Amino acid sequence: MLLPRFEYHAPETQGEALEMLARFGEKARILAGGTDLLVNLKTGRDQASEVVSIHRLKNLSGVVKNESGLELGPLTGIARLASNKDLGPASFLGDAAAKLGSPLIRNRATLGGNIVASRPAADTAPPLMALGAKALIESESGQRTVELNGFFKGPGQNVIEPKELLTAFIIPSMPDGSGGGYEKLGARKALEIAIVNAAAFLALDRDGVIKKARIVLGAVGPTPWLFFVEETAPTGDYPQAPHDAIFHGAGLAAVGNACAIDDQRGTADYRCRMVEVLTRRALAQAYLQAMEG
Amino acid sequence: MKQRLNLTVNGKAEELLIDPHKTLLQVIREDLGLTGAKHGCGVGDCGSCTVLLDGQPINSCLVLAMQADGREVTTIEGLARDGELHPVQDAFIDHGAIQCGFCSPGMILTSKALLDENPKPSSQEIRQAISGNLCRCTGYQKIVEAVEDASKRLAEGRK
Repeated sequence: MLLPRFEYHAPETQGEALEMLARFGEKARILAGGTDLLVNLKTGRDQASEVVSIHRLKNLSGVVKNESGLELGPLTGIARLASNKDLGPASFLGDAAAKLGSPLIRNRATLGGNIVASRPAADTAPPLMALGAKALIESESGQRTVELNGFFKGPGQNVIEPKELLTAFIIPSMPDGSGGGYEKLGARKALEIAIVNAAAFLALDRDGVIKKARIVLGAVGPTPWLFFVEETAPTGDYPQAPHDAIFHGAGLAAVGNACAIDDQRGTADYRCRMVEVLTRRALAQAYLQAMEG
Repeated sequence: MKQRLNLTVNGKAEELLIDPHKTLLQVIREDLGLTGAKHGCGVGDCGSCTVLLDGQPINSCLVLAMQADGREVTTIEGLARDGELHPVQDAFIDHGAIQCGFCSPGMILTSKALLDENPKPSSQEIRQAISGNLCRCTGYQKIVEAVEDASKRLAEGRK
């Protein structure tokens, strides 16, 4: 399979990159790991006459903990994220990264690439959304911050405009007693696009009562979908075990709202049934981790 | 417009003038004549194009050659030293882990990279590590046994 001809640029600084993007506009495509863009250029799903590789912008890679939370660079490698033991309650993002593609793909793929590709079944999108993450998007004319819930517009589409570069993911600080879970359903264990995937994030107070909960479902709609947000104060539900009926109920409710389609990976009916199972399992994982913290 | 590419391949510095839309796989095969890496699917699904980039196994069909500028590439041709096969290669031969041979360069390189990072992998870890390298012939069992044996050979210092 051949790539079409294009001009290639490898800016050394973010400023240089933004200047190039401003100059090239719609003709440019940003190249990070290449495991998505190059496939699309080879198959003709996408076109580019100017490819701007950002691999030299080392400042865009890395995981930084600060008082306001966690900041993740878009160039952070998926393999690196998968093996990062220091993500705390966000470890389920690492779990999702570990399930992306194959070991070979993970050695090139990036967090930013997975999010910007904006596929409905993207592995890292549900965890990031469940964590309440925001994306920092910059251009020569300034910068803006966008909630990840609202970032995706449809399969392969998002709010990033030509000339813009996503430069950071910001995860707000996660309280003690919080945890997450990610579940991916596929016909095989590697090189698989999810039939359904689900991420759950729970924050429990000292008495084990749920004070914050988010459930995100992928591959059952045109975009990963934040199905449930509960951010109310202590009078919440009190689960007593990973397989508490509360989580079962949440799973059933998720089914009622999912908007699945029939496609080559599964029927809408099967997906809806699996939404309940995966939601329940992701909540169980989140509960176990939250109870440890 | 062609661009200059400098990279190290199997320990040797190479300087090439290439079209930027060429993949690392194309440059390795066509410009350098190293045809061990294969074009299978071209989209990162089969792993027959696997080479090591700074020691990490990757699908060379999905890396622009220009992105390898300044980096080190190891292909299957670079494993043998002074005419002696690498223990992983020997183990593959001894265990019948090679049938048609199409997946073998990629499979061996991925295995070698695994053993570099994890000298005593379990069979589950081996299967996970090679999950991006497809084999249509062997059913993987002999490959896993070969990697387990290679791990022992390397531990015994056999070179």
